Amino acid sequence: MEGIVALTELSTALPAGQLLPVSEEQVGQYLGEDWEFVYRNSDYLLWGTVVTILLTLTSILLGFLAGFPAGAIEAYGSGYSRAIVRKFGVLLRGTPILVIMIFTFFVLPIDIVLGAAEIGLRSIEFVLGPTPFTVPTDVPEAFIAATIALGFRSAAYQSQIFRGALGSIDEGQMEAARSIGMSRLEAIRHVIVPQAMRRSVPGFQNEFTIVLKDTSIAFAIGLGELLKRSHDLFTQQTTAVLEVILFISLIYFVLTFGTNRTLDYVSNRFAIPGESS
Amino acid sequence: MSDRTETTDGTGRERGADASSSARGTETDPLLRIEDVRKSYGDEEVLRGIDLEIDRGDVEVLVGPSGSGKSTLLRCLNRLTEVDSGHIYLGDTEITASDADPNAVRQQIGMVFQDINLFAHLTARKNITLGLRKVRGLSKNEARQRADSELDRVGLADQADSYPAQLSGGQKQRVGIARALAMDPEVMLFDEPTSALDPELSNEVLEVMQGLVAEGMTMVVVTHEMRFARGGADEITFLAEGEIVERGPPERLFENPERERTKRFFESIRHE
Repeated sequence: MEGIVALTELSTALPAGQLLPVSEEQVGQYLGEDWEFVYRNSDYLLWGTVVTILLTLTSILLGFLAGFPAGAIEAYGSGYSRAIVRKFGVLLRGTPILVIMIFTFFVLPIDIVLGAAEIGLRSIEFVLGPTPFTVPTDVPEAFIAATIALGFRSAAYQSQIFRGALGSIDEGQMEAARSIGMSRLEAIRHVIVPQAMRRSVPGFQNEFTIVLKDTSIAFAIGLGELLKRSHDLFTQQTTAVLEVILFISLIYFVLTFGTNRTLDYVSNRFAIPGESS
Repeated sequence: MSDRTETTDGTGRERGADASSSARGTETDPLLRIEDVRKSYGDEEVLRGIDLEIDRGDVEVLVGPSGSGKSTLLRCLNRLTEVDSGHIYLGDTEITASDADPNAVRQQIGMVFQDINLFAHLTARKNITLGLRKVRGLSKNEARQRADSELDRVGLADQADSYPAQLSGGQKQRVGIARALAMDPEVMLFDEPTSALDPELSNEVLEVMQGLVAEGMTMVVVTHEMRFARGGADEITFLAEGEIVERGPPERLFENPERERTKRFFESIRHE
């Protein structure tokens, strides 16, 4: 505690505008060698943070791309499609994420996955015209495996968020839209979905936080995200385990807190005037 | 927009001319014709063979105890509920035909709901423009102008940018009416439009409806508002247990019903 106070004094005492005013020796001097060790390797951990953030974004995106249609099928689909989507969801939600990730990394052939992604992208381009996207080939396999595991697991949960939100919209909204001559699809698109999306923000917020924290499970398949990199560090200097873990916990906290605040803002920004949210 | 209005007016006039040339009031050319319509939910027969003809420009009020099938009948008219058997014609086209496009049918038949059902995420104006844009394919500007004139028609020009949650029940229902009117329907259906509202708020909605009566809009109204039925209706149809018990002009039905069942119903309402 004394050390932290001293550190603040030290940094305020220095002339403004100077980047990284504290030298390693100074950190070591005030906070001890283990903090100095963390400080010295902070860029290594920050790159891990970047991987964590990227993995969160790709997983959430995949989860949305698969989960939203799945939720819509569960809410509106007919017999067959709904049964299939449900079974997939139950399977994914019933399997530990670690098991899913081990499966996608060690069992799922990466070539098939990339091939499927290529076909998917080509068919999207066939419908929508050229897109600026290409299927990445130079991404580490562990990253792809982790994205698929976290993404599809998240899709299984996101589908439930959207199914619930779609189902919560009063049936009268659909009837009113149909009564002015809109087709069922138009009504879903222009009337139901815009309202359902607003209602799914709290659930989505929760899901975002869970995925962000669960990126740490990619540690198990050796992806260099935040936890893996901190492990690399504290196995080098085993006395620094507490300091390293505290440091990355702070990073995780800042990320989840920031995400939640951002989504709070989004939720307020798009709230329907006059309605209590 | 003006083009559209002219066409509707044009057909309206033509039809009017036809009616007056062939002895007026013979009801040879009803706008809505309902033939032996039946509907069951499971074992419960809700409509047991309804026959009804409604002339252009007429106001038909459907009354009856709850569960009599009046709302179901109304919903059959724009196919929100599908009939089990029987036929419904709008002019010369059968709207219950298996190859009739329900979306096209509904554009010609406006509906106002008991629960109002304004699109909660859209302003009053956008509640109206949505259908004009997506269904009618109007440009943004045309739709906006049309919406504003419809809002003006129901006395809510100043609330165009308000969201449903910011409006009173009566105002909401008036927007609901404007939304339906904007699609230029030939018939307007009202499903208990005031029963979710306080008596005070009902009045402003009833006034708008009276205005439509004066404009000569063809209307089918399910309501418990006997003031409206008395003042606005051309014909009142009394339904019970899925059948038409009695039909006639309001004065006769109120003062001098033929059937005992009708008499009991109007008496019970009077005591409320």
